Amino acid sequence: MKNTESVFPQITHIPEKPSFLPHLQPTVNVLAAVIEPQDANTLVRKLNQIAPLENLRHVKRVRKKCIDGGKPQLSLLLSLAVENDAEVLELVKSYQLSTFITKVCKYAATSKEEWDEQCKLWPTSYHPPTYNISGITGFSEEESQSVFSFMRHTVDLATSSVGQVVNAAVIVDPSTNQVIASACDQVISSPSLANEVSKEGICSNYLENVNQQTLLLDGSIEESKHIINNVACVHPWRWALQSFGCCRPLRHAAIVAIEYSAARDRQLFPDYTALSPLKRQKIEESDSQSNGHSSESLRPYLCTGCDIYLAWEPCPMCAMALVHQRVRRIFFSFPNSNAGALGSVHRLQGERSLNHHYAVFGVVLPEDVFRNKVLDAKTAGSG
Amino acid sequence: MNKMLVDLQKHDKKRVNSKHSPSTLAPCSHHCFAVPEMASYAKETIEFMKLALEQANDALVNLEVPVGCVIVEDGEVIASGRNRTNETRNATRHAEMEAIDFLVEQWQKDGLSPLEVSERFSKCILYVTCEPCIMCAAALSYIGIKEAYYGCGNDKFGGCGSILSLHTSCSELPASEFASSKKGFKCTGGIMASEAVSLLRSFYEQGNPNAPKPHRPLKQQV
Repeated sequence: MKNTESVFPQITHIPEKPSFLPHLQPTVNVLAAVIEPQDANTLVRKLNQIAPLENLRHVKRVRKKCIDGGKPQLSLLLSLAVENDAEVLELVKSYQLSTFITKVCKYAATSKEEWDEQCKLWPTSYHPPTYNISGITGFSEEESQSVFSFMRHTVDLATSSVGQVVNAAVIVDPSTNQVIASACDQVISSPSLANEVSKEGICSNYLENVNQQTLLLDGSIEESKHIINNVACVHPWRWALQSFGCCRPLRHAAIVAIEYSAARDRQLFPDYTALSPLKRQKIEESDSQSNGHSSESLRPYLCTGCDIYLAWEPCPMCAMALVHQRVRRIFFSFPNSNAGALGSVHRLQGERSLNHHYAVFGVVLPEDVFRNKVLDAKTAGSG
Repeated sequence: MNKMLVDLQKHDKKRVNSKHSPSTLAPCSHHCFAVPEMASYAKETIEFMKLALEQANDALVNLEVPVGCVIVEDGEVIASGRNRTNETRNATRHAEMEAIDFLVEQWQKDGLSPLEVSERFSKCILYVTCEPCIMCAAALSYIGIKEAYYGCGNDKFGGCGSILSLHTSCSELPASEFASSKKGFKCTGGIMASEAVSLLRSFYEQGNPNAPKPHRPLKQQV
């Protein structure tokens, strides 16, 4: 499944829209015309009123071309080719423009390379990501090692119960490299197994305790594909088939980890809930008036600033839960073609209407490189 | 707050009187709009939505985003829930999640097997004051709820048609595969939407006390 190029340790940003090769970006047809430079200002102003380019804000209205070192030629984008707006046609008539159809790129460029290609068709504007989430533009060696380390821990958790593979979630405060909470799926489990899932200690510094002897997913995971049947985010409807034991259909790893982190928050900042709602509101008011430091201002707001590591790409429920809880970055190892909401089936990070946006990264662990190579060899042998 | 309840009840009466008017019931999407069925449902639909609104109002009184719900099985309310995101500091504690978790725990105690739990959920109808968000819509599909009625739409987070359509099932599958495959549910919006909206409006006018700063200033208490 994996192409060979991806088989080296890496952390890949999974962008808000499907990525295209720079020269294969989708385009739309537009109506344009060559204009006299002295008419440019008036025409642009008029067009912005009668035919604003609502979904093409990245596209520039005017293209300037120098032909054979001669004087520059201006072309003006009139409207989308399909629109045939009466007012635009009138403008064409009154200025005696000869129109032509041309292509512009449909989406704003997300990289310099894309932008360069776009401008070959028609000039566009390029704004590097305005949100400043570290990692989108790359990771330092130190950061990468930290990400690999947390991901290794997460995949270990996911494969730690005997005889089954589940999803695991680890919430980390990257400013201190502290594990805030971690959990495995608790959808299908005997009560004893559920108790084994630990709430992470409040001050455990994960990096100091990294278990170096982890060699995970020793190949057995792929030998029988059904072993991932218990990964809740991959098979969220499967719980109903369970004939025994305890089933809590919504206790996916990420949901449980969020619950633990909220419990930790309440434990670390207990005063807040002890107050009656009205009194609490009064305190907030005086806080906002005094503008000063208060104990409340130290309290984190949900998981703001935190990262979450997941073995598998989350389903829509978990991905949206992580929007609600204000997680900053999501790292996952295995894509979820069945129900993945961060690029596989849906792409929540690209839904602009949501009130919070996180950055999403796919992680291929160094040890996966080994595993994938073995797998490739196996596939090649059996095929 | 009591005044609010009284106001709501006034509204409700008005709505109940015009219960058979299909104009109060807007479809969330074309495929789940069935007029004749809805007309016969209207009265109890309104009654159950009133109970969901009571839950939402309880949330408002407790400075929570006012969304509430009830879950009904065989014409009987078996669970209710309202937002508890501020109290728990867990932004996933939406009304629907509260009500579902209550039932799961209850049925767990009763010793129901997963299959039996699934059978019970497949008979349940949810009434919620606001369109389920993407998280809750997915959850409702996972548990295999039969049907959902909601009040106002949710054009920023809605998972039942507004942003995603997680209530639609993809395909007809043989019964053997159906049990573990994507489940859709019938979904109808627009029931007492204005009441749901006015609750939300009064919440946001007073300011969300739990929102991070800087934020819209809280309205001064008189």
